[in-house]
Amino acid sequence: MTGNRMEASTQSAAVRIQRFDPDVDKKPYFRTYHIPVTADTTILDALDAIKQHQDGSVTFRRSCRHAICGSCAMNINGRNTLVCNQPVRAHLDKKNQISIRPLPYLPIIKDLVVDRSSFWEQYLKVKPWLLPPDGVPEKEYRVSPDEVAALQNAETCIMCGACYSACQVVALNKNYLGPHALLKAFLRVLDPRDSQPGQRLQQLDGDYGVFRCHTIFNCIDACPKQLNPTEAIETLRKLIQKRVTFAAAREVRQEKLLSESR
Amino acid sequence: MIESRVIEHDIIVVGAGLAGTWAALSAGQQGVANIGVLSKIHPLRSHSGAAQGGIAAALGNVRPVAGTGPRGPLEPVPAGDEPPDSWELHMFDTIKGSDWLGDQAAIELMVKEAPEMILAYEHMGCVFSRLPDGRIAQRRFGGHSAPRANYAADYTGHVLLHTIHEQALRHGVRFYSEWYCMDLIVEDNICRGVVALDIRTGALHLMRAKAVFFGTGGYGRAWKITSNAAANTGDGVAIAYNAGVPLMDMEFVQFHPTGLYGKGILMSEACRGEGGYLVNREGRRFMEDYAADKMELAPRDLVSRSEQIEIDEGRGTGADGQGIDLDMTHLGREKIMTRLPQVRELAMNFAGVDIIEGPVPIQPTAHYSMGGIPATVDGQVIADAAGTPVVGFYAAGECACVSVHGANRLGTNSLLGASLFGRRAGTAMAAFVQDGAGLHPVSGDPVARNQARIAGFMDGGGKKESVGQVGAELKETMTRQCGVFRNAEEMGKALEKIKRLQQRFGQAGIMDKSRRFNTDLLGAIETEHLLTFSEVIVASGLARTESRGAHYRVDFPKRDDQEWLKHTMAHKASDGPILSYKPVHIFTDRYPPQERKY
Repeated sequence: MTGNRMEASTQSAAVRIQRFDPDVDKKPYFRTYHIPVTADTTILDALDAIKQHQDGSVTFRRSCRHAICGSCAMNINGRNTLVCNQPVRAHLDKKNQISIRPLPYLPIIKDLVVDRSSFWEQYLKVKPWLLPPDGVPEKEYRVSPDEVAALQNAETCIMCGACYSACQVVALNKNYLGPHALLKAFLRVLDPRDSQPGQRLQQLDGDYGVFRCHTIFNCIDACPKQLNPTEAIETLRKLIQKRVTFAAAREVRQEKLLSESR
Repeated sequence: MIESRVIEHDIIVVGAGLAGTWAALSAGQQGVANIGVLSKIHPLRSHSGAAQGGIAAALGNVRPVAGTGPRGPLEPVPAGDEPPDSWELHMFDTIKGSDWLGDQAAIELMVKEAPEMILAYEHMGCVFSRLPDGRIAQRRFGGHSAPRANYAADYTGHVLLHTIHEQALRHGVRFYSEWYCMDLIVEDNICRGVVALDIRTGALHLMRAKAVFFGTGGYGRAWKITSNAAANTGDGVAIAYNAGVPLMDMEFVQFHPTGLYGKGILMSEACRGEGGYLVNREGRRFMEDYAADKMELAPRDLVSRSEQIEIDEGRGTGADGQGIDLDMTHLGREKIMTRLPQVRELAMNFAGVDIIEGPVPIQPTAHYSMGGIPATVDGQVIADAAGTPVVGFYAAGECACVSVHGANRLGTNSLLGASLFGRRAGTAMAAFVQDGAGLHPVSGDPVARNQARIAGFMDGGGKKESVGQVGAELKETMTRQCGVFRNAEEMGKALEKIKRLQQRFGQAGIMDKSRRFNTDLLGAIETEHLLTFSEVIVASGLARTESRGAHYRVDFPKRDDQEWLKHTMAHKASDGPILSYKPVHIFTDRYPPQERKY
């Protein structure tokens, strides 16, 4: 919380934190902590300060402090976000109050720590790994800058779970693959190096795939990396309509990839 | 009370960043089925994923446009042209960057295998940035004489980590996510396993293995201003030291020149690789006074010292004069948006600056731990300067010291080293297991010992100190007295202070007494680890009366090859570390020590 060039004046903030230890508490409750904040105090700074100076039992996940590790997604005043890159002041209401809850619709392990098991299970279901063509090339595959640019919407996903926990469809049906897994599937389907786009599209056409999405756009709203899972889902829907030709075109593309990489 | 279990694996890997995941994957690919990977945070949260600028390998895909000089614009090398880069150049740059403390045989191996490592990532699905013809794009980096940083915009570590984690899942590697390794069991120089805390339940388990691998990361959290994630508390380093394993070259800690002012968060070296300027209060590119040839792309130790001199002599920027301006406005919007999108986002979120419009304030920040657990190029941990192996114990990545980075690491060599030596260690462990290594018996009750350690923190009676306060004082001490510039007097005071803090820590308790997901408890154990290895850093630095790489002694400003061309080895004893020394491997015919100028 060292000051930088931003305004250095402090004000007092009331930080309401949802607490819950299932071993002890019957249901979640709020506790309010008062701390001084400056313009550059992040919500994570506030949580760290409360934990160090007021109440060591306040429990949350965090690691990198700069929005790349995906640990600290939480619900702030009703919206999912990372807490490490958000200034407290931007989220204070008229009473100088901010409310911090765990990601909704997920089982609470303790306080702000949720159980993301279902999130990771869906991620595994789409086979998030590349399935490369047979044969070991000598050099890199020649992937064009345009092909790479098309993947950028998906490759920068940090798997924080903000979108998943904001998704109304996930809330109603835990079998739905969810925006994060579909975004990863998009990455693999669109990657010219992947040899199984046809099979992947077939899976995504299933009961719990892309056609479950109700295009409510909560995922876009929640994403701390400004990614667009809905757009990726739309693209996958279109590709499913022309799955056979898409898979055939991929085979042709891969022959070229393999010949150029020797 | 949740039951404590005994869990057995052929191989236990601790840490799931690039080194650990590669070790598990490669051992699995060699046919070892029973592998468990422990990580105190979810594997995809590992700090490898925070690396930004690139991973080194002399692919020779780009070169400066003819006639524009070494800092000119880059162009793809046409097919059939002479390659502009080579492993020999990469080797020399790394040796020079290390200030001749790097072991040259290990460096040679790393730079020769580097191109194949990049291709392995590419073939596994890593999304690199590309040249127009589809080859992997490369940029410049500090201390490298050719553009050989292979990158994915400015989130290279992120794509490498996700790619290797996915492939490990594909091959059925078993992860114990949010399990914390508390202790390493070594008896008679044979490693027998670890004691691990299942963070979610609070249960302690004895985990036995034929081989244990540490890829537990660096120790930058001992400083107040650091680029490191909260997780980088040097656990593996401290745990190994407590188990009787020596620590090597701990005094060498890299301060990165461009930490976000006041926060320490990394602004990638790619900012300068793409052409960013460092500017002082007078609006001048001051690097011309310190490294006229390489300018901003001099190696990190040199740039950080130059910045600190500017600040100390009153030419710093900002209201308190404690910063330096990193100016990228001349790069233009398009280059910034395609090459440095994350950096822009960071500067906007944390400093309120759009780098397209204006300079961002930065300062040196504790970044990379060159020292650590001494290991061979096959990850075999050694017990002494003679190279006696600690049977069944392996390490790679930032927690280890091979040593390829010597006294100062070059940017982009860390992702390379972690990946490559992690993979080699996995292969070596597979051979070790397949050659008939067994599970060795464990004497005493290490679980009970660690349970008592936990109970000690929880015990409410008469605890006068707070863990957080002791930790904060340690970080303040390391920042003030063991930073970019060091001297005997300050380090002497720091050593005394650390000893006092260690004593006070014995009186420190925690507030959270619950078993379930007790991060207050984790914080206490981590702080104990910081106190343990910080003593080794300061003692090693106090003994080394020369300046080499990142270790700069104001009272001994010259490198002293006569006396100090050697690695420090620190063994634990009751009243502090016992220091001994190990020769540096040098090809005297090819790369004899030279003066290091940029």
